[in-house]
Amino acid sequence: MISEGSQRIKRQSAIRIFAQEFAEANLTSRGSGEYDPAFVITKLGIMVNRALVCGVIERLDRREGDNGPSFSGVLRDPTGNHRFNVAPFQTELQLDIEELHARFESGDRFLMALIGKSNWFEGEEGGIFTSFRAEEFCVIDQETYLNWLIDASDATLRRLNSHDNSIGADLTQESMKSSGVPDDLIEGTIMARQHYPDFDSEVYRLGILKALSSALGRTNAPEIENSEITENIPVIDDNSSTLNSKDAPQVIIETIKRLDTGVGVEYDALVEACTLLGISRELAEDSIEDLRDLRSEILEPRFGFFRLPE
Amino acid sequence: MSNDGKYDLQIKTVKQECPDSSENDIFEEFKRYEEEFLIPPEDALRSVIRKFQLATGKEETTFSMPQKIEKKVTRFSELNSDDKNITIEVFVATYTPRIQNVRGEEKQIAFGWIEDNPWEDANSRERWDFKDWGQHSKYLSPNSIVRLEGVSVNEWNGKKSININRSTRVTTLQEGNSSPIQISNEPLNIAKISENEGFGSTIGRVISVKSDVIVKKDGSGTLDIFRGKIADESGNIGFLSWVPFEFIEGDLIKLNNISVRKFRDTPEINISNDAKIELYIDNSFPDMVNLSKTSVSSISDLRNGMRDISIILQITSWEERTFTSEDGTERIVRSGDVMDPTGRCRLTAWCDFNPKVGDYIQINSARAQFWQGSPDLVVDDLEQITNVSNPPWDDIDPSNHWVEVDIDDLSNGGSRRGISVSGTIVSVRKDSGIIYRCTKCRRVLRDDACSEHGMVEGIEDIRLRFVLDNGVSNASLLLSKEPSELFLQQKSDEIKSQISSLGPDGFINNLRNSLLSKKVNVKGRALIDAQGTMILAEEMQLLQNPVKDEALRIMNKWGVEL
Repeated sequence: MISEGSQRIKRQSAIRIFAQEFAEANLTSRGSGEYDPAFVITKLGIMVNRALVCGVIERLDRREGDNGPSFSGVLRDPTGNHRFNVAPFQTELQLDIEELHARFESGDRFLMALIGKSNWFEGEEGGIFTSFRAEEFCVIDQETYLNWLIDASDATLRRLNSHDNSIGADLTQESMKSSGVPDDLIEGTIMARQHYPDFDSEVYRLGILKALSSALGRTNAPEIENSEITENIPVIDDNSSTLNSKDAPQVIIETIKRLDTGVGVEYDALVEACTLLGISRELAEDSIEDLRDLRSEILEPRFGFFRLPE
Repeated sequence: MSNDGKYDLQIKTVKQECPDSSENDIFEEFKRYEEEFLIPPEDALRSVIRKFQLATGKEETTFSMPQKIEKKVTRFSELNSDDKNITIEVFVATYTPRIQNVRGEEKQIAFGWIEDNPWEDANSRERWDFKDWGQHSKYLSPNSIVRLEGVSVNEWNGKKSININRSTRVTTLQEGNSSPIQISNEPLNIAKISENEGFGSTIGRVISVKSDVIVKKDGSGTLDIFRGKIADESGNIGFLSWVPFEFIEGDLIKLNNISVRKFRDTPEINISNDAKIELYIDNSFPDMVNLSKTSVSSISDLRNGMRDISIILQITSWEERTFTSEDGTERIVRSGDVMDPTGRCRLTAWCDFNPKVGDYIQINSARAQFWQGSPDLVVDDLEQITNVSNPPWDDIDPSNHWVEVDIDDLSNGGSRRGISVSGTIVSVRKDSGIIYRCTKCRRVLRDDACSEHGMVEGIEDIRLRFVLDNGVSNASLLLSKEPSELFLQQKSDEIKSQISSLGPDGFINNLRNSLLSKKVNVKGRALIDAQGTMILAEEMQLLQNPVKDEALRIMNKWGVEL
């Protein structure tokens, strides 16, 4: 066909997705029309506009602003952290989130389900940090959480299968379709294949194994050689000193001091320096962002290269 | 250390960070993370440290995002080197894409020149370099004028330029050098060509054709037209020819430069003077006998506006009604409920047709029109109906005929009755609970007013509204009063009293806490239109499949072994 018919104005479905897949996405898409939906596109080719995520509440911060309080929180699933926000203009959510905040502040921890629209923050020159703007949420019991783990595993396995099928296919709708990529994954898979370099999809399978082990009531998680999906907590013995989030900024600043020969230190070198010392990649990335955007202790004069202020 | 020494290593680490915390409390917290939240102690370490740091007021740096302040400018000269989140309208002078290695990944970026003050002549503009990190090539064609929202200034060696980021919104205000639309005369199969409205080409065998007459809307006369159907292995589609159609049933034809338009929800080929139709030779193309089999529809295939339908049905009820038509004559209309294995619908006969309940019939050349979103097959002549002596399916029990469909199939099909569908509740709508309806049209009142009849005294009613979702497709779900009572296991008076004691928000909160992210099965009918899918439930129940069985089912489905 030469011209396409009018698009139906439809609600976007809630994607079941584990934290790792969403957090690792750095490709976004937004149409030029005023009401076009915005998407975060993951390496496995799903275009996420809305998601249903679950996990234990890990953080819930309240911040006062001119327009009222806003909240930022973290839900943790077996593969990592989902970040979410409740904005001051979401007055219909304020009462409920205040209540949860009070519970969190009192030391209580609980499992939550959250429906959110995907959102992202972009560093000055390219780093994408994904999160969700909450639409609805509630506290859930363990059985509901286990059911979500199974659903998210099923959805991720479907995407992995589609990703495997797409390897070798041309980057066209027809080729993807004939290779067995489901209709809802074709557009995202083409964009993901154009954007992301080759990657090892096994890391996503390991998260699924953890989730399904939990659902089957097995206390021992499967053997996982690749520790990326764990928190990379350093081995602790009586003589060792522990590393925590306070060390990461120091490691980053020291690494820049040590390696900068005048042109800056590459992003990957900073992350690697942290991970070699047992600091998780996620924390290292957070710290780089924090040092650059909030504390202004490092600069990124050229995309991907970091320096200390003169 | 505590108890069996299970978490000793982790407890020691937490104590180093939070020396004032009690070992027993730390033990209980690790136990809770492992048993309730399914997070093993080595993975829970950071969470537990954070919790006790918060409890002792020793909070670590919190995750936060800098607040973005938008800066709107018209000239580059208004910008400083540290400005971010800028909105500006610019003229795109050049756009050069290239592949660059960024953080170990090959990425397409682009650079070029943009000019401010784009609506004035070129002499009054300032030109800056830009870099496009967000692959906006589709919207940044040279010589276009665009609005950029969310760009930032970059300064390197004293020279300022613009960074167009991934999150930047680009709105085209004036088209530039767009590449011409590729017009392909490559024929598409009928399933493909039916997907969208527009122009194209296809090849098909003429299944039926007949002449017809259309009366012009302005009353200025009539038009001779031809209607019919063509088919290939992928499906069939009706056509309407505004020019003489010289082919007969059985001819294999190639249709070039035809347009596909939707009549109600049904795609139809329009043949006008610009179209070129010719006989086509392909000995391997399916013959009439094979294609006629594919022309027999099922209820799930029906779309509003379909014509020339052949279908086999089982009669489940039948009645006749007399009414006075607009011209004052008395007429009889006969109608009833019919079924096939894919669903239920209505059948209306404008002829002397009196079947018995349980009869099987085949109707031909029928048309489908939708009444209140539900399919209604219409026949005008007894000759369109034949009795089927050897029904292709066993007798269906109409009292329990619910066809299992998933939300994807439902959303991609037409409106249907008698469906059973499962999914997860992902939204509890705020307008669930007590509503007021217009006394004249039953529309829901908003601010005590009907959109049709203005301010009216409303009739109280109860309904529940949700969104049902399976991760790929979704549907709006509505339970009217009786299904709501059935689901909540409360009579309407009890529901009203609950709403009055909790308040409307409290009632919604209760519903949300008990239903959000839960799986349900719904039986009822589905209305599908341009806005999406709406399910009108007759009953709804929570699904409670054992978790282990579900996990094993998924593992078998994808061949996963632990």
